[in-house]
Amino acid sequence: MPDADRAAAVAPIVVGIGTYNNAGTIAAIARAVRDGLCRDFSVRDSRIVLADGGSTDGTPDLVREALGDAAGRLVQVGYPLHPVDLFDAPYHGLPGRGRALAAILGAARELGAQVCTVLDANAEGLAPGWLAALIRPVLDDAFDFVAPYYARAPHEGALTRSIVYPVFRALYGVRIRQPMAGDFSCSGRLVEHFLGQEGWQDGARAVGVDIWTTTAAVCGGFRLCEVALGARRHETRGDAPDLSMTIVQVVGALFAGAERRAEFWQRVRGSSAVPVFGQPTEAGDGSPIEIGRLIEAFRLGHRELRDVWAAVLPPATGVALNRLAQADRPSFAMDDDLWARIIYDFAIGHRLRVLPADHLLRALTPLYLGWLAAFLEQAGTAGAAAVEERIERLSLAFERQKPYLISRWRWPERFNA
Amino acid sequence: MTIAGSARDAHWYKDAIIYELHVKAFFDGNNDGIGDFAGLLQKLDYLQELGVTCLWLLPFFPSPLRDDGYDIADYRNVHPGYGTLEDFRTFLKAAHDRGMQVVIELVVNHTSDQHAWFQRARKAPPGSPEREFYVWSDSDQRYRDARTIFVDAERSNWTWDPDAHAYYWHRFFSHQPDLNYDNPAVLAEIEKVMDFWLDMGVDGFRLDAVPYLVEREGTNCENLPETHEVIRRIRAHIDGRYGGRMLLAEANQPPSDVRAYFGDGDECHMAFHFPLMPRIFMALHLEDRSPITDIMARTPDLPDSCQWALFLRNHDELTLEMMTDEERDYMYLAYSADPQARLNVGIRRRLAPLMGNSRRRIELLTSLLFSFPGTPIIYYGDEIGMGDNVYLGDRNGVRTPMQWTGDRNAGFSRAHPARLYSPVVMDPVNGYQAVNVEAQEGDPASLLHWMKNMISLRKLFRVLGRGSIEFLQPANGKVLPYLRRDGDDIILCVANLSRFTQPAELDLSALNGYVPVEMLGYTEFPPIGTLPYFLTLGPYAFYWFELQRARR
Repeated sequence: MPDADRAAAVAPIVVGIGTYNNAGTIAAIARAVRDGLCRDFSVRDSRIVLADGGSTDGTPDLVREALGDAAGRLVQVGYPLHPVDLFDAPYHGLPGRGRALAAILGAARELGAQVCTVLDANAEGLAPGWLAALIRPVLDDAFDFVAPYYARAPHEGALTRSIVYPVFRALYGVRIRQPMAGDFSCSGRLVEHFLGQEGWQDGARAVGVDIWTTTAAVCGGFRLCEVALGARRHETRGDAPDLSMTIVQVVGALFAGAERRAEFWQRVRGSSAVPVFGQPTEAGDGSPIEIGRLIEAFRLGHRELRDVWAAVLPPATGVALNRLAQADRPSFAMDDDLWARIIYDFAIGHRLRVLPADHLLRALTPLYLGWLAAFLEQAGTAGAAAVEERIERLSLAFERQKPYLISRWRWPERFNA
Repeated sequence: MTIAGSARDAHWYKDAIIYELHVKAFFDGNNDGIGDFAGLLQKLDYLQELGVTCLWLLPFFPSPLRDDGYDIADYRNVHPGYGTLEDFRTFLKAAHDRGMQVVIELVVNHTSDQHAWFQRARKAPPGSPEREFYVWSDSDQRYRDARTIFVDAERSNWTWDPDAHAYYWHRFFSHQPDLNYDNPAVLAEIEKVMDFWLDMGVDGFRLDAVPYLVEREGTNCENLPETHEVIRRIRAHIDGRYGGRMLLAEANQPPSDVRAYFGDGDECHMAFHFPLMPRIFMALHLEDRSPITDIMARTPDLPDSCQWALFLRNHDELTLEMMTDEERDYMYLAYSADPQARLNVGIRRRLAPLMGNSRRRIELLTSLLFSFPGTPIIYYGDEIGMGDNVYLGDRNGVRTPMQWTGDRNAGFSRAHPARLYSPVVMDPVNGYQAVNVEAQEGDPASLLHWMKNMISLRKLFRVLGRGSIEFLQPANGKVLPYLRRDGDDIILCVANLSRFTQPAELDLSALNGYVPVEMLGYTEFPPIGTLPYFLTLGPYAFYWFELQRARR
């Protein structure tokens, strides 16, 4: 697009949705987007970018229909979907999400967007005020990156709470609760920055593109904030991966990012909060989890995977895990510093390619279930404030153990080489 | 089709870790006893795992191999022993795919006497453009002020050619006639040769023997203004057509003369710091930092886009040309008790034997290589402490097959041992059965793992490649402390050149309040105050500290 046209074609607000066969949820989302834009902004200044990977269930038509009068504001772009994308179901449900995001960001640049908000097509219950909440901090307060802060019940989002958040916070020094959320807003400046980086749309990294965007925003020195959005439910699809696969994808993306950004995070000390817009709320209790089964899964993993663990975990950790495997339920507790060191040792094992990444990360699953059991056992019926406090203590342990990670990262022990 | 250079950052060479290797010596892919591109391709994973970011290949062009390929007979092809042009392209792409840059050797001063240009010149009538590709004379008395470089092999820089009925000029071996850069057609041809490789995607050239391009009566024929003009034109030619490519000058000259090869940032991007290298060895043996601090004090600043290339050992002898007679005598006594190790004006040995196989000394010198301002170059095999063989003649003793395993032919080739281009090193200390990649990969305490860690650590700190250097002068001369700075990044390096434990009192009062964090183990040391900062260093120990501001 020539520069003159670009200046003329200003659409300050771009809302992007990546889709692939999302007929089940997309109409509600499209209506919520239309209503949100109508309510809080001028629809004339907005475009809705639909990046569709070639849906066969009529997703784009449903969007057009749902938008009604606003369908004229729809910009549909395609993104290439490779057969391999469909083979490995990603945890976020959108195959080829990296390329979908690239298509949305590219369109946002072409449209001269001041703010580009990306929404997850799998999520349900997009409340009317959310869109404005995600957009306003960029337009009104010159933030570059707006991350959502969803309320979650104590046992929900445990993978984020127990690994992603504390590791991200300890490494990059920024307290973003959900650094791999599928919804976020970014400024035009940040859109340019994202598009200027290479190698994130394709390959293994594409699965973890959500954490990639947050990391790129932090490492690029951009202004970040969070918005509290209440509870949001994600549709569980029939092809959603199991827990092990989710760990492979989520933790794998986190670790791969750490490898690429070592130069940055090894200079970061401590952490600081980012501004939060809105009031974080409590989510309901959600469905209960059978703690006994988690402990059993940990014990089974301990029996079967001890030798794999020994390839990355030092002997002292091995001894502590042996002790835990023998503990009965009332005394089943995992020390925060021990958990932090376990995650860090897996990160180092991942970096040194001690085992194929998939095998290594799958072996983390029972350890994670053990941690979750201990966490739920302790959290019990505690309220959200107590859970918050618990996560804060855990995060401080990850920060405290960061020198452990750095020293071994730089000078691996290779005790089982 | 022109393929773009592989680097995104135009100054990529400033953060590079260069690995120098000879295709012939690295790995034999077709089992004919000679290393080749197919073999090198198989070993790229090893190099990537090692962590090096740039490969510098010694000459691989068709050649009669009377000077190990520095006698080029055809600039646009690959020596059949090493493979084909297609093999080269495959290798280049694979290296780029792994994020590695590739720098090749270009001998621009001379060709082989077998090159078509020379064969044509000697038969062409005097004064004709073909004849004028080289430097001819009816007498061997011109340019008498130019020294002879290969004193052990050549008596004069002129050799009589019976076909041409004239003498031709050569600064090196008599089978390597010098090109005549007073003839514009020569530069035009050389530029075409460069385009040939740059179009393929090659990331840079090492320009061999660059001070000798032009001759003038009454001078020593080195570093002449006319030579610099040729280099400027080469650079302008490349900059006009390509991005992200690099020229590395081989100019074995005093620092002030080498400085000229950077020009105003309009000649070479990089040049070797030849005078520093032997003085590092000298300081180590003297257990005294002054040879290093003296030469660094005489090292001029460079234009922003330029960078020193640093090395401990390379494919040549440890050259002592840039030393005084007395310094040279010291070096011979210190490092070549066996006269067989001496060659020309230097010592033909690898790093490990020069260090008496002392792991601590190897590590200390490598720490200096990695923490001095410039881009470090590792010579193949030195990452495992490979040995040499001073009885192989010329510099062949440091160009023996890479030692991959303890198997036959050091795992370099499956050919009959008699077919190898060179015998493998077999001595009981540094030979392939004691020193090889396979064994060291399985040994967590090996030099190879140590090197991997150091390379990876150095890559985390751009300040080590790009920052300024400032030497501290504690009373104990056996200790070498220096500060490296780049913006907010400050690193304190302290090296003990002695074989015994040493104390050091450092005046760091200007850095009052900073906390030194030892970089290898991320260990916090006591904060710096106004009193002298006291350190104790074990034998040949070195410390790197990142200086962090105290936490509030």
